[in-house]
Amino acid sequence: MLLRFAWRNLWRNPRRTAIVVVAVSVGIAGSLLSMGVNYGMVDQMVVTAIRTELGHIQVHAAGWEDEPTLQKTLPGGAATVVAALERDPRVRAWTRRVRGDGLVNSPRASAGVRVIGVEGEREGDVSLLREALVAGNWLGAAPRRALLGESLAERLQVELGDKIAVSVQDASGDLTGGGFRVGGLFHTPSSELDRSTLLLGLGEAQVLFALGDAVSEVVVVVHDPDEVEALRTSLAKELGPQVEVRSWAQLEPLLVYMVQSFDMMAWYLYAAVFTAMAFGIANVLLMAVHERTREIGMLRAIGMSRRRVVAMVVLESMWVTGVGLAVGMAVALGATWLLRDGIDLSAFAQGLAAYGVPPRLSPVLRARDFGMPLVIAGVAAGLASLWPALHAARERPAEALRHV
Amino acid sequence: MGETRLAWRNVWRSPRRTALTVAATVFAVFLVVVFVAMTRGVHEKMIEDSVRLSSGHVLVTAPGYLQKRTLDEFLVLDDAAVHTLDTLPEVVGWAPRVVSFVLLSRDVTSRGVAVMGVDPARESTVTTLSTRVVDGHFIRGGSPHEIVIGERLAERLGASVGDQLLLYGVAYTLETAYDLYTVVGLLRLPDARLERSMAIVSLADLQEFLVFGDRISEIAVLAESSERTGALRDALRRGLAMLDSRPVFHTWREVMPDLEQLIVLDDLGFYVMVAILITVVGFGILNTILMAVLERQRELGVMLAVGLRPAAVFRIVFLESLMLAAVGLVFGLVLAVPTALWFEAHPIHVGGTMAATFEFVGMEPVIVFRLTSSTLWKSSLLILAVAAVAALYPALKASRANPVDALRTI
Repeated sequence: MLLRFAWRNLWRNPRRTAIVVVAVSVGIAGSLLSMGVNYGMVDQMVVTAIRTELGHIQVHAAGWEDEPTLQKTLPGGAATVVAALERDPRVRAWTRRVRGDGLVNSPRASAGVRVIGVEGEREGDVSLLREALVAGNWLGAAPRRALLGESLAERLQVELGDKIAVSVQDASGDLTGGGFRVGGLFHTPSSELDRSTLLLGLGEAQVLFALGDAVSEVVVVVHDPDEVEALRTSLAKELGPQVEVRSWAQLEPLLVYMVQSFDMMAWYLYAAVFTAMAFGIANVLLMAVHERTREIGMLRAIGMSRRRVVAMVVLESMWVTGVGLAVGMAVALGATWLLRDGIDLSAFAQGLAAYGVPPRLSPVLRARDFGMPLVIAGVAAGLASLWPALHAARERPAEALRHV
Repeated sequence: MGETRLAWRNVWRSPRRTALTVAATVFAVFLVVVFVAMTRGVHEKMIEDSVRLSSGHVLVTAPGYLQKRTLDEFLVLDDAAVHTLDTLPEVVGWAPRVVSFVLLSRDVTSRGVAVMGVDPARESTVTTLSTRVVDGHFIRGGSPHEIVIGERLAERLGASVGDQLLLYGVAYTLETAYDLYTVVGLLRLPDARLERSMAIVSLADLQEFLVFGDRISEIAVLAESSERTGALRDALRRGLAMLDSRPVFHTWREVMPDLEQLIVLDDLGFYVMVAILITVVGFGILNTILMAVLERQRELGVMLAVGLRPAAVFRIVFLESLMLAAVGLVFGLVLAVPTALWFEAHPIHVGGTMAATFEFVGMEPVIVFRLTSSTLWKSSLLILAVAAVAALYPALKASRANPVDALRTI
């Protein structure tokens, strides 16, 4: 009853109410879209990290996280780990890698690089490195081929087919090296990766670093990202203390921190925008209440309690905010859908690439992202209605009736 | 003149309504000014920190060096050039360096790093590297084969002060070069990535190691402030024009394009927030002025009937809106300026996970504020502009009213 009353009161002055609703919608739509772009950016950072190197879970020899040396390896091709992974239906794909550091020399230049030995077939199932190939061939067929990041190749001034020399210190500490030909070039969303990574076949990397059949890590991707933690714990239990099983969030906690810091930013944004809105809503309510002094006086005179008057005004505020919220959210969702192919931010490509974000960014809005603005809007609307509501309730009916 | 007084009185006819709108404006102005001061301070610090850790405001190199970074792109400084650099007023400090990629190894562990040969005395006039030593000391001119590395790099190598490291690389003459260096100091930098790959030796040592003679790879030059970068570059261009090596002068923007882009991107995000805030306030002003006009229909009708020109009515309503905004602006500034100045004097130190995100992007975990006069007058202009736009519809409506109809309103 009160709800309908409040609604009808609002539309007594349609233009005024409409302006407030538009203001609320603009505020909501703008804020949601802004946050959508931010969340899109963080999402991309996480996806890039997972899809280029991290995977969902990594298994190493115990103590690797604290001291990631070449010597900390999983012997025997990590057979026990592989067996455990093959048995688990939650695992979508896995691959093994060798990781080391070295110097790569071309006839014209040299650069410090990370040398990663990968399994040709399996790596393609786990990371996007294979899709990131822009020239040449993936590892597999021809021997002694190396894959370089595009920017690394530029730095070294080499092209497909050129010879390069890789110098490393192998597992026993000897300085050694090998000659390779540039078999392919890749371009990933992460400029850091492109600039500093050299890929070799797993077998050839094992020979180069004198590791025998040992590997540095096993990388796992799962079917359902929500199961990562569960899988991690069960694997850790099954494989025992000689290995470490870590999730991507544990390996790169910074990614998680970035999500948290954006959540905090969202708080501040919504609080600021809704406070500004609250003033506007309060103003409109105050005017409306003032105009209806006589009417409210009459209502009180025939028995409407103070509390119901307050409730009525508060409900008006809620209605206005509610309609504005609905329209604003619809606009935000619509815009997100329209922009689903991404906003072209190629002018900022280098800055974004430093954090693994590709230059086409799509805003991302999920159900949980709507919760915060809803709550804050509700609180703001409530607070905005306090003064007008109390003002309305405090009028003495006798005087109110006499109001001009 | 009379119009102004009329407008002013009209504004205060409904004090409560005006007060609420003014309050919204005050709130918006306060937020905008304080946050612009914060963003500006943070960005300037980012630039300062980056610039004073690596390239200086201007990096002087041979042509093609930035793209290729090999020993083939070198500079040679003669006495005249040194003298020019020492005496140019725009130059606050300059540091010659040799940069090359080597394998750094200790026992059985090695890392590929970019080793930098510096002149310790000159280096501290440009970078803060020498002040960031946490263990041991920085390179000293006299002693041979000293090396300073990042703390994280030391951890990876399992090295500490006093240990010997093998440097292994390719000399200018294309021969293999290797030599032993002693770790004399460890550096701690706000940029973790930089710290993991930073190795510093003396300029003379590296020139000898690489058989480079008296050639250098780059010169980092510091200006008085990032705003004076352009002036510094011009001065250097003129001063070093006759140098044989035909040097190229890169600003920090060209050396670190990702830094500049990140700053611009950050600014963009901020402007969007300001736009939303201002729009919401603008609607509030629109509503207030519109209501005021609608309430005074009869009165406006009388004025028009009595001979007041529609243009004058337009102006009066327009002025009301501007005055409303101006009052909010003044109070907003009165609150915002001292606040921003206080934060300028007392930067916020961040802790916990926030600090970690700062360090992730290579910043020290501190929020610095900087208030400039351009911020103040730009914000003022913005608020007044919004008020002007918000006033258009009500003012037009008021001036176009038909006196006969208006007089009939109750």
